[in-house]
Amino acid sequence: MFTTRRGLLIGAAAFAAAGCTEQAQITTSDADLTAALRTARALAQGADALGYGEIAEDHRTHAATLERLLRPNTIAEEEAAAPADADALAAAETAGSAEAAESSMTTQSDYAVLFGEIAASRAAHAAVIA
Amino acid sequence: MTAVDTGLAAEYAAIFAFSAATVHLDGDARDRAEALESEHRTRRDRLLDHYSAAGAEAPAPAAGYDVGVIADAAAAQELLTAVELDVTATWRAGVASSDPEERRLCLDMYAASAVSLAQWRLAIGQAVADPWPGRAE
Repeated sequence: MFTTRRGLLIGAAAFAAAGCTEQAQITTSDADLTAALRTARALAQGADALGYGEIAEDHRTHAATLERLLRPNTIAEEEAAAPADADALAAAETAGSAEAAESSMTTQSDYAVLFGEIAASRAAHAAVIA
Repeated sequence: MTAVDTGLAAEYAAIFAFSAATVHLDGDARDRAEALESEHRTRRDRLLDHYSAAGAEAPAPAAGYDVGVIADAAAAQELLTAVELDVTATWRAGVASSDPEERRLCLDMYAASAVSLAQWRLAIGQAVADPWPGRAE
């Protein structure tokens, strides 16, 4: 279309005049990543509330990775209700594992292994808490 | 070789290693090792059922596996930790399969192996937290 430098400059000026100077920004919002992030944050809060600091740290590591993958989108932090006891936390870990495993099976993105890792980590948490 | 073939080979090797190493252990580690050997045998049987249902021939175990010299409880613990890590890493790799049935099976086995790894670490007094079980460091 613009085969010379002059032509390119003219073309750029024409685009600018038409209001087309803003760069297109590709935004992706993966529902599976968002759900996994919300669950990771809730589990981190729950583990912290019951004194499982190392397990909470695992969830924060998951959350940090998921936040990075969701950029430039951001998901607001939410306050989660603390689990009543260790059994409730283990049940939440099990449910979170099932959620991530389902995402691993159905995700449209390339993150099957990532979701699998999160599911496996949560399953291990549930087993050692129980 | 499929992801399930590779996983089954890892389970065969784990059973062999537990059979050789558990006798050197006692206390909680011994109890957990016995439970995990049983778990690996259960997984092997489930995998053999998978081949049978598909009308396929399952790979056979090797006649033996090189587990090195197991001189004492510390060596046995080190070996079994390496075995659990290897099994977990093997099933993790299988989750990348593009075949849904194979991925589902590998996913189930991966979660089960991550649980085994955590239970083993707990039994021998190691930290159990691991955000990415089986991922190479």
